[in-house]
Amino acid sequence: MNEDFALSQMEQETDQMLRIRYINNENAEFTRTGTGFLSLKIEDEFYPRVQVVRMFPFMHKDEFLSVRTPDERSKEIGIIEKLSDMAPETVAMLQEQLTLRYFTPTITKIFGIKDEYGYAYWDVMTNYGACRFTIQMGGNAVVHLSDTRILIIDIDENRFEIPDIMALSNSERKKLDLFL
Amino acid sequence: MILKYELSKENLALCELKAEEEIYYCLPLDIDLEGNYRHDSYTVMTNKRVLVLEEGRLTRQFGIEECDEIRSEPQIACGIVYVVQGEKQLLLGRFTAKHLTRYSYLFRGMQILKRGRTERVISNEYEHSCPKCGRALPGTRECPHCLGKKEGLFSIFLEMLKPHKKRLAVILLLMLSATFVTLANPAIQKYLVDDVLLRDNKEYGLAFLCLFGMFIMSAGIVFINAAKSYLCSKLGSYIGEDQRKKLFDKIQQLSLSFITDRSPGELMNRIVRDTARIKDFFADVFCNLFTIVILFVCVCIYMLVLNWRLALLAFVFAPFSVVLSIAWKKNIRKRFHLQGIKSDKMNNNLQDVISGMAVVKSYGQEYREAEHFDDTADEFAKIQKGNEVFFAVFYPVLSFLLGVGIYLVTYYGGKGVLLGSMTPGELLQFVNYTSLLYSYVNWMSGMPRAFMNLVTSLERIGDVLSQEPSIVSLPDAVEHEIEGEIEFKNASFGYKSYQPVLENVNLTVHKGEMIGLVGASGTGKSTMINLIMHLYEVDDGEILVDGIDIRKIRLENYHSQIGVVLQENFLFAGSILNNIKFAKPDASYEEVIGVAKMANAHDFICKLPDGYNTYVGEHGYNLSGGERQRIAIARAMLNNPRLLILDEATASLDTESEYLIQKAIGRLTKGRTTFAIAHRLSTLKDADRLVVIDGHRIAEVGTHEELLARKGIYYGLVQAQLKVRL
Repeated sequence: MNEDFALSQMEQETDQMLRIRYINNENAEFTRTGTGFLSLKIEDEFYPRVQVVRMFPFMHKDEFLSVRTPDERSKEIGIIEKLSDMAPETVAMLQEQLTLRYFTPTITKIFGIKDEYGYAYWDVMTNYGACRFTIQMGGNAVVHLSDTRILIIDIDENRFEIPDIMALSNSERKKLDLFL
Repeated sequence: MILKYELSKENLALCELKAEEEIYYCLPLDIDLEGNYRHDSYTVMTNKRVLVLEEGRLTRQFGIEECDEIRSEPQIACGIVYVVQGEKQLLLGRFTAKHLTRYSYLFRGMQILKRGRTERVISNEYEHSCPKCGRALPGTRECPHCLGKKEGLFSIFLEMLKPHKKRLAVILLLMLSATFVTLANPAIQKYLVDDVLLRDNKEYGLAFLCLFGMFIMSAGIVFINAAKSYLCSKLGSYIGEDQRKKLFDKIQQLSLSFITDRSPGELMNRIVRDTARIKDFFADVFCNLFTIVILFVCVCIYMLVLNWRLALLAFVFAPFSVVLSIAWKKNIRKRFHLQGIKSDKMNNNLQDVISGMAVVKSYGQEYREAEHFDDTADEFAKIQKGNEVFFAVFYPVLSFLLGVGIYLVTYYGGKGVLLGSMTPGELLQFVNYTSLLYSYVNWMSGMPRAFMNLVTSLERIGDVLSQEPSIVSLPDAVEHEIEGEIEFKNASFGYKSYQPVLENVNLTVHKGEMIGLVGASGTGKSTMINLIMHLYEVDDGEILVDGIDIRKIRLENYHSQIGVVLQENFLFAGSILNNIKFAKPDASYEEVIGVAKMANAHDFICKLPDGYNTYVGEHGYNLSGGERQRIAIARAMLNNPRLLILDEATASLDTESEYLIQKAIGRLTKGRTTFAIAHRLSTLKDADRLVVIDGHRIAEVGTHEELLARKGIYYGLVQAQLKVRL
């Protein structure tokens, strides 16, 4: 008897993993916990804290968001297909959590890049403020997401993005020559 | 790594430290919740409280006794820190990835303080950049720049030359003679023209003497240059070889994490390409460097002495040709760079598709891949065509323009000759010197680039050579014969220390015991094995071998006593015989055959056409998985290891191989302390004890029967496997 129960529970769990449950305004209610996080009541389940994860962070920032439990196992609770379909208050709450999770400043101006001893020292302006960082040359520090979009990962694993190299000035693009 | 940043006086005042309260940890909160950079916000933990300072204000404080834990959670390229009170989690703030590792220590820091103890947590990890000057630290504890090692490169360069002093002396001698000859030739020509040909003495003898002299000079210069080139290339090759050896040795010494952090291609580049650049520098640049500089100076002086007006004219145009050739070279470099990128792209595409041809075919994507390749090939062809056209059209133009100075000199000089202020011989000499001058100037304009290449290569090589291996034999390490008693004491480890893979592991293994490691995929079984193999070191706690800290045993000595059979059995390019003898190259044939028989490999080897001499190519390609594994087992056995590590292959082989391998492993593990990541039920049953790892910790320990009776995690895993197999 015991054996069958354990087995059927495992089967149930694996079946649940297959399920795609869409979260929308009707079946779910998000609330701020007041301590900086987000709780969720969906159907008859309650989660005191949830994590919002982008499934396609480079392609669809606000679509296909996976809402998950924040612990080690991180099980998926449901999927939000389009952020904009949710109520405006909810959208704000979810955006807060997304902002908390992802940090990739966009480089708006390149003041200078100096390369020395196999490392390149960048001095830039981003949408979050001025910043200096160091990347390792000769590694995979600069990733081409497309022909004109690059992601830069520095030695501390911070990330920076230049969405369109062509939008930079000519002199700035020249500085990037080494890395393209 | 710094765990306590210094606070300004104002911030310190904000903390309002009470009596007997001191700051233990102070870490920056360098971004706000929206992500904007901040420069004056901190998380402060004293022995009594946790404080949050934000841009000059104290915004939160908690007593340590009010909190259960303080936790930091890595996010995507950033992290958050929060305090746990019962069920609630209170967010304190955010920080960039730079501080992820630092914050991970706060958890333990608070636990220690909560227990009423006063120890401070110290991190032995290295900073990534120097706190003083901001330069990146290449895996060293101290900043080479701040220590004044700036002249490092030049001293590296001199170090390289030291062993070759004699050769250098000869080269220098040749350079001086080349200088002399080059200067003398035009002088003889002048004498020939002015004093012999233009006089009507019909002094044939003298003329022939001059011609003979010129011939000797020309031939001489050829020989001297040839000898110089030969010696310099040889010097370059020797130096290149020295550096290659040094690099390879160093890379072998460095710990596994250094190599796994980088792509093998990059390391190969250092050893192959950077040393080649150094060799090229000697062969191409160095051998001409001094000659040309001396000649340049001498020629300038001569020209000024001969006819200073004409000399100045020539000098004025020199910069013009320099500018032209620099602009030209820059353009060429950009073109080649672009061509290189497109060529790489095309090659990568090709390699990808050809390696994965089986996949392409089975999904029927040949047409699409062909189209994609067409595109990349087109891009490459376009660039290449453009480049070729460019060279074909502009090279002649450039050559013409570079000669402008000479035409002018000839014109004005010619006028001078006609007017009688210069002799034809002098003009000839002058024009010769001018061409020499321009060619030197041209050559020297390429110097900055050559130097930059050399310096870059020296830097990259120096970078590797200055790395300190993170796992070394401690100075007081001893040689120890392993008995087989292994103990894990409060061991914690993470490849990135802020993301632990194993937490607080306690386990005692007795001599000769076979331990089966079980657990879901990715729970830390391979990690435990890596720690036992001393390829990585625990972040916290210790591992004892026969009561001795594993760090106190000499690495080479320890490794020579371990046998390893992994999932992917890597066989080096070579014969089966050499692969089996890998750990013990001086083994006798009898020993080899003995272990091959024990591993149930002897029979299939004999059936191969070349027997033990069969060449197993890259990754032992010609053999099946089961055959490779049996050779690996034989290899492990040959050394008679005291400790055995076994990482079972998950793929099930045909029943005959399975049975043979099972028997072979049985013989291998008999009487040896063995750690096996077990997947086969038969292995699990044979194990003396099973250790179930779940959630970064050891969940259950016991024999197969004991754990089944417990009906816990192990029970569930076995059930699932049985269900699947049936």
